[in-house]
Amino acid sequence: MAAKTLPQTVVFWALMLESAKNTMVEIRIHGRGGQGGVTLAKLIATSRFLQGQSVQAFGLYAAERSGAPIQAFCRYSDDTIHNRNLIYEPDHIIVLDPTLVGPGITGGLKPGGWILINTPASPDTLQEQFSSNRLATVDATSIARRNKLGTRTVPIVNTALAGAAARMLGFDLDEMRAAVEHLGFAGSNITAAEEAYDQLRVFEPASLPTVSRSKGASSTGLYHTDEERGPSFVEGAGGGLPGIETGLWATEQPHRQQFVPPCNHVCPAGNDVQGFLAALANDDVDNALAIIVRTSPFPSICGRVCPAPCMASCNRIELDEAVNVRQLERYAGDNGQATVEPLTTRDEHIAVVGSGPAGLTAAYHLARLGYYVTIYEQGWEIGGLLRTGIPGYRLPPDVLDREIGRILSLGVDVEVGEVIDRNRMLELTQSHDAVLVATGLQELQALRLGVGDAEAVEQGIDFLDRSHRGEVRVDDEHVVVVGGGNTAMDAARSALRLGATNSQVIYRRTRNEMPAIKEEIEEALQEGVAIDFLIQPITLKVNDGGGSNQRRHKLVCRRMELGEPDESGRRRPVELDGSDFELECDRVILALGQSPDLSVFPEGTEVRQGQELLGLLETPVYAIGDLATRDGTVAGAIGSGRRSAFHIHNTLNDLEVPVTIQTETSSNVEVWHNDVIRSDSLKLHLFERRPASDGVAIAPEVRRTTFDEIHAGLTDPSEAKRCLSCGVCNSCDLCVTFCPEGVLKRVGSDLIFDYAHCKGCGICVTECPRNVVFMSHL
Amino acid sequence: MNGDRPISTLEQAPPIPCTEECLLRPGNTNCGGCGMGVGLTMLGRALAEADDTCTLAIPACCGIVTAGAFPTTSYGVPTVATTFASAAAVAAGIATVRDLNEERGQVICWAGDGGTYDIGIATLSAAAERNENIIYICYDNEIYGNTGGQRSSATPPGARTTTTPGGKSEEKKDIMAIMAAHQIPYAATLSIAHPDDFSRKLKTAFNTPGTRFLLMHSPCPTGWKSEPADSVELVRLAVASGLFPLYEVWNGSAWRINVEPDWTSPTEYFQRQRRFKDGEIDLQATERSCRDQFKRLKTLAQEFPHKTEEG
Amino acid sequence: MSVEVVSGNHAAGYALSVAGEANRAARGASCGIYPITPQTEIVEYVASFPFQKSRVVPVESEHSAMAVSIGASLAGARAFTASSSNGIAYMVENIMVAGYYRLPIVMVAVNRTLGPPWNIWADQGDTLMLRDFPWIQFYAEDNQEVLDATLMAFRLAEDHRILLPALVAMDAFIVSHTQAETVLPDQSAVDRYLPELDLPHRLLHEDPKTLGGLAWPEVAMSLRLEIDEAMDRVDEVFGECRAAFRDVFERDPGGAIETLGTEDAEIVVVVSSSIATTAREIVKQRRAAGEKIGFVKIKMFRPFPERALREACNTAKAVAVLDRNYAAGVGGVFWQEAKAAFQGHRDDLIIQDYLTGLCGGDVTPPMIDEVIADVTTRDAETKPIWMTAP
Repeated sequence: MAAKTLPQTVVFWALMLESAKNTMVEIRIHGRGGQGGVTLAKLIATSRFLQGQSVQAFGLYAAERSGAPIQAFCRYSDDTIHNRNLIYEPDHIIVLDPTLVGPGITGGLKPGGWILINTPASPDTLQEQFSSNRLATVDATSIARRNKLGTRTVPIVNTALAGAAARMLGFDLDEMRAAVEHLGFAGSNITAAEEAYDQLRVFEPASLPTVSRSKGASSTGLYHTDEERGPSFVEGAGGGLPGIETGLWATEQPHRQQFVPPCNHVCPAGNDVQGFLAALANDDVDNALAIIVRTSPFPSICGRVCPAPCMASCNRIELDEAVNVRQLERYAGDNGQATVEPLTTRDEHIAVVGSGPAGLTAAYHLARLGYYVTIYEQGWEIGGLLRTGIPGYRLPPDVLDREIGRILSLGVDVEVGEVIDRNRMLELTQSHDAVLVATGLQELQALRLGVGDAEAVEQGIDFLDRSHRGEVRVDDEHVVVVGGGNTAMDAARSALRLGATNSQVIYRRTRNEMPAIKEEIEEALQEGVAIDFLIQPITLKVNDGGGSNQRRHKLVCRRMELGEPDESGRRRPVELDGSDFELECDRVILALGQSPDLSVFPEGTEVRQGQELLGLLETPVYAIGDLATRDGTVAGAIGSGRRSAFHIHNTLNDLEVPVTIQTETSSNVEVWHNDVIRSDSLKLHLFERRPASDGVAIAPEVRRTTFDEIHAGLTDPSEAKRCLSCGVCNSCDLCVTFCPEGVLKRVGSDLIFDYAHCKGCGICVTECPRNVVFMSHL
Repeated sequence: MNGDRPISTLEQAPPIPCTEECLLRPGNTNCGGCGMGVGLTMLGRALAEADDTCTLAIPACCGIVTAGAFPTTSYGVPTVATTFASAAAVAAGIATVRDLNEERGQVICWAGDGGTYDIGIATLSAAAERNENIIYICYDNEIYGNTGGQRSSATPPGARTTTTPGGKSEEKKDIMAIMAAHQIPYAATLSIAHPDDFSRKLKTAFNTPGTRFLLMHSPCPTGWKSEPADSVELVRLAVASGLFPLYEVWNGSAWRINVEPDWTSPTEYFQRQRRFKDGEIDLQATERSCRDQFKRLKTLAQEFPHKTEEG
Repeated sequence: MSVEVVSGNHAAGYALSVAGEANRAARGASCGIYPITPQTEIVEYVASFPFQKSRVVPVESEHSAMAVSIGASLAGARAFTASSSNGIAYMVENIMVAGYYRLPIVMVAVNRTLGPPWNIWADQGDTLMLRDFPWIQFYAEDNQEVLDATLMAFRLAEDHRILLPALVAMDAFIVSHTQAETVLPDQSAVDRYLPELDLPHRLLHEDPKTLGGLAWPEVAMSLRLEIDEAMDRVDEVFGECRAAFRDVFERDPGGAIETLGTEDAEIVVVVSSSIATTAREIVKQRRAAGEKIGFVKIKMFRPFPERALREACNTAKAVAVLDRNYAAGVGGVFWQEAKAAFQGHRDDLIIQDYLTGLCGGDVTPPMIDEVIADVTTRDAETKPIWMTAP
């Protein structure tokens, strides 16, 4: 059956308009639900009503939602208004939201009419778009936000725009102020109107088209032919997808960003800590190891002996305690499988002098870059202090051998028993394309204690080396170790294992200033090492028999107190006069620190990290590791070795390969921040408190008797799930879970926002615990 | 922030396929930050995970406006608008015929607090008494949101609405106690801030025949006069402070508490919503009432615990 | 087939039940029911009927009775209910929805006075209140017509050219509680008469649609126009239903209107429902005496059979409309409809309204005579004339 034609809508309105045309002003307002567009219409109407004019203000009502585009209308006239239609040909237009500005808004606008837009932009920037009209702009959003009107995402801009409209339409501000007050608005609303009145900027083109009067609508009102009718209720009944581009409602949009996690920032080795923790959190141990060996060849070693500044800087401390990164790195190193191979082959031959962690790391990276590398080691074993300076109960030799093996498997040559003096150095520069010197800190800081030095006083490094080679016992002795660093702890703990009845550390500052790893101090104490603070040894005397224990020596000591901080930031110890006392002992071990031996270099050579030592030959020579940095940690040595390797690579090939490794997450991160994310940028309250896991350690009373490794490590990598993944997306997908629109999707490692439909509510930002989503104003 | 990479724009962004499979399709007409939207997407996910589907019966409320304009719809499941008071009865009719024909799929009422606590309570009560095979989900935004924010019997004391301009003076109706008193197989409270709990309870409901009642605390930025971005955080605070306890009741006779409040002060909850005004909230009375309410629940959960694990 | 002495309510209950049962091989039947005097026996009958595939839901209100039926219908079942008077008034919101949802729900209504005052007797005001809704309406004269119209209502309502709900009204007590012989067709015959219900817009997971969401003015108006188009098709489809009824049950259930002596009548008496029986007898007697009086019973009130009525009154000079209902401030509803039907066609015709038997009053033969006497002598209409039994 053919469709009926509905009764024709007879269009009288245009005729009706004519009577009031001469004095009537019609304004159409474009805004968004919640911005107060209808109220703006009412404000303008009220201001005219109070001046005795006839007015109308109305909205185009549907089921408006906050943020949806809406229209409102206002007309005023000296005569009675005889018209209840929508406004099709407005005299002026007001736009509440700059994102609504487009060609569509001017539909029917009379040439020469005003367009008032809420925007920070200057009106003349819009002249090309709206050449037939006069333009006015005001930043009502800022005014509203400043006056705390509405919410952050939907500021209520109507009172500000009322002030602007008054100026534009040529009313007195007082007339609009009266209207604002008449409608019961006060305080900040008045201020907003006043500010906008003052701040309105206008642009009037030099020439405007002549104003032409419309003769009414051209529509006949005929519709509902078969073609025009929508689907029938029964047959079509609403199955189609919504066509509303709700993205147009948004005033802000979410985007991806990434920060530098503090662990990555502080890691001296340059490891992607967050990255390998994320892999471990996913139980992907091999991938975790693969991520680590991109930077460090020593995960199993660092996982045992690193002071772990990453843990000290861990943001999780603000929630409960740091993620146990050290043990997790060890877990990855001990349990993961990763193959390393040279990426290419090159002709250049590079010499590395010294086989400590810095030299080995440099060799590792250079070999991976394809260089032919030879390591020259003065001793008969390689590993440097890793082998001789760290006791086996902390770093078992087989672990060291395994990780060195990984480096040598890249084809690195080793020459042992090669003492490099100045002449030999010259030869190396002639036979190689570059020389790296990684001889560490070989000058040991001594302390003159007077008599008995030769027999009873020994350097900690030497003591540990002899211990390593099985050449020393200290049965039944009282051993005093002087110092507060790791060597002191290692010596004191080794002394216990070598038979000492008493192992006592004396340190001239307090525990807070001790450079040793916190855990090592605690373990030493657990094992029975005594640590006494604020004590400085002065002289060592042979025991003349006055004491009770019949120890061989007496160490005269002086008590100290802490004074002002020194250049290192630690408080300087100051001697206390008259506080001397005697300490009976058999042996004194000095662990006071080391300094570089620069004798291979020309006199006066100043050594800094990464510095090319010129003046020898044309071949570049670099000092790396502790020799250059005096850092003293394995991790620092690894970092130095790696940076140097890339530096040489860039120098030899005139390249600029970056050394920094950025955490690899999804490919659609839009803003990369170079700054470190701090805990106050995280939503810590979204995380559950959970104590750290530390794995299993042998009981102190057992371990003090053996050089077996004291710690068995973690049994699984679940500790990695405690990582907050600060500033780096870890695909927790809370943003997806909480998105009210379903416009956020996880596609592989990417997070995709459907901007065509995202309303910009910002829940994904609020709910992201790690600050990797941010809102950007449109 | 570095400016190396331009922020993508609407045109550059890859489109997300707007699929008909979504329960709530993008492009719906909810306000930004609508809690109901979160609830609907979570419902859709739970159904998908349970390999289930549903028919929605929605009374007059924002939930049906969500659909958008005929002939398009934001709902990817068969959906019928019911009269304001009739959701449970229409759903009962649908469920009856679905069961007569042994068809899969849940029949779910998705109703606001007005349609549940107020105008629809007789219908709901009757459906519950008959143990109709429906899931009734009340998204409780504590206000007549669709009409612009008038009081309902779910409006909490102190809240300003357009019909309680000085703040509501009465207590919020305890709809959970009412529904539990019907001895329906399953009743539970839901918070979108606790998605795992939310999803588990939905799945429990899917697997429990008979009338199931779920009460979801549904933030309404427009009615609560809060930041849209704060929606989830607000209801999280409500759970933490004991204002909206998360619990389950089986057959009106066995209780289980799901989340222990940490007794965060509700001050922040109130301050972040402009429907609450300082001086119109009796903070001490609120905290006391929360603790009393929780104590009662705790006693019930201890004396009459839910014993068997579902599913 | 059997002929039994049953009440109008029983006939209605029987018709609803066998119609529901006839859909057992399809998606079954379901309904919400709620009691109210004088229709309670209908829902009692339905509730006790041994359906093979049905669930009768005893709900808490008329509002929900229709709501359950709406849900059942949307899910594809044959759905129906029954109510009366204030029950219908309470149900109104959902009655309207059933219509705009294009659901072929059948409701039997027992016409009872809307209160207050409390009055349980016959008056058509309750269902005529629904006259602007998209429902087909029948007013049955007796038990048999209740049964026949109810069966036809299902077939008509469910036809894809129509898809509108239908109600069958009968007078309280005069029909609902009066025992009379009634043909009760066998289930097998009803099975043949009523095809399985296939609701084209039923709720399907495979084709998810949203019913009842927002529609913009142009779209919503188009949906109203569809209803008007469906109403236009009722005349034709009802004719088919009547023919099919004759084929299956071997009886003629009658058309939208029934006429007697209208071929030459100068005076036509227009009635509906049970008053028709009395009026028909009087007209018969007076025609036998040579008077040119005609009789029209309007059975189908919606859509209003205006063309048939005009044709029936082709020779008339005056028409008397008897209304057992009163629209405040106007008069009888049938009279208004009749006036509108003749407007522009027979502006010379006197159409006089007689409000008879309102609120359950008896309409006696002398009252009919009095109406004929009055209308015969009229040369102009007056306001509706209120009449009670002497």
